[in-house]
Amino acid sequence: MKEANKMKIGAILLGCVLGLSLIGITRTVLASGWSGREMEQESYEQERNESERYEHERNEYRRQEAETRPMSAVQQAYVEECGSCHMAYPAGLLPPQSWDKIMKGLEDHFGENAELDDQTRAELSRYLQQASAPREGQYRRMIRNLDQQAPMRITELPYFRHKHREIPSRFIQGNDKVGSLSQCDSCHRGAQRGWFDEDSVVIPGVGRRDG
Amino acid sequence: MKPGLVLLCGMLVVNVWLPAHAQSSAAKQIKGWQSQGAAAADPQQGKLLWFSKHGVRSCSSCHGASPLEAGQHAKTRKPIKPMALSKNPARFTSQRKTEKWFRRNCKWTWGRECTAQEKVDILSWLSSQ
Ligand code: HEC
Ligand code: HEC
Ligand code: HEC
Repeated sequence: MKEANKMKIGAILLGCVLGLSLIGITRTVLASGWSGREMEQESYEQERNESERYEHERNEYRRQEAETRPMSAVQQAYVEECGSCHMAYPAGLLPPQSWDKIMKGLEDHFGENAELDDQTRAELSRYLQQASAPREGQYRRMIRNLDQQAPMRITELPYFRHKHREIPSRFIQGNDKVGSLSQCDSCHRGAQRGWFDEDSVVIPGVGRRDG
Repeated sequence: MKPGLVLLCGMLVVNVWLPAHAQSSAAKQIKGWQSQGAAAADPQQGKLLWFSKHGVRSCSSCHGASPLEAGQHAKTRKPIKPMALSKNPARFTSQRKTEKWFRRNCKWTWGRECTAQEKVDILSWLSSQ
């Protein structure tokens, strides 16, 4: 690169830094004109708004990604075998010890026979173990306050119960289109794809939830 | 012109090949049970079996009052697609699937496995609907 070009880039960079610090100083000076309390409030709200917006954008991105990502062969097998009597519950909703218990008792599965041949069972067990509720990421909240317990139902998880404690039973058992909380997909429209954020909840016959 | 042709061909495949394929697939399964000792198919008997009650349970508890229409799982309320071949050409195309559900559903509904003859009769009725 020519010496002259290097100089030019240097000058541009310097200009940027100077410009930015000027903006920063002006803002500080302006801001210090307000009372400290107001400023604290302001910055707290700004922070919250920003983090909410960030959360929202991230959710939106995850949703789109989840909806367009093609299913792997084992995921297809999972939906085929575990999605015919109810929606195929995303593996991330239960911890590994729960899946283990469920997969060992398929002959008497909540009063039904969900038997699989040994090979399919082994393959799906492996998949569920590996994709089960992680300590990190989207589903980490599902296993909050659980330790090593192995509940057989998602609907028995403390976090799940907490999140659904306020829904009146006339919206669930008394609702022809729902029947029980186990039917996630009747209220969470993104459930099939592992999507459960509050924004996409519509209780049938009740409509969108406010707040 | 071209997309229209492709669409037409696609529709032909769906309308002619799929049902024919399903029909032959159901027929093949029936032959299979007959080679295990079942006699000729009796669709009327299949229909009787389908609606026969064991306590409160029958095949129609989940598959609904008519095989031409969608059913609903008795406990989870998940919709189940129609069983009649004419309405749902994807039916009985996988022997593994058909056998698996006969085993589960006969046990759940009647408390025992279905015999080869019962499967022949039921499948012949469903595929004639
Ligand atoms: C023959 C039908 C059938 C099949 C096949 C089946 N299930 Fe189920 N499952 C049920 C029923 C019925 C319930 C109880 C639903 C209720 O109480 O409303 C249930 C409940 C569950 C629950 C608990 C839901 C809750 O309340 O939190 C999990 C988890 C589950 N099944 C996983 C599986 C897995 C994994 C497979 C595949 C290996 C599978 N199921 C296949 C019928 C089935
Ligand atoms: C009767 C309708 C209904 C059913 C069925 C239902 N949910 Fe919910 N769920 C809700 C509502 C309403 C909320 C929002 C609660 C709130 O406002 O905090 C919610 C919240 C949640 C949340 C928290 C979302 C967030 O962003 O904080 C999760 C996770 C969740 N549900 C998972 C499930 C799963 C898994 C199932 C099935 C096993 C299920 N739900 C079944 C109505 C339902
Ligand atoms: C508890 C609910 C339930 C009952 C009762 C029930 N079924 Fe089913 N059946 C299902 C479900 C769920 C499927 C799988 C979903 C699908 O294929 O759409 C199924 C699928 C089948 C299939 C597989 C069809 C195929 O495409 O290969 C056959 C055959 C069948 N059932 C026969 C029966 C017979 C015979 C009875 C009565 C003895 C019966 N079912 C009773 C729920 C039930």
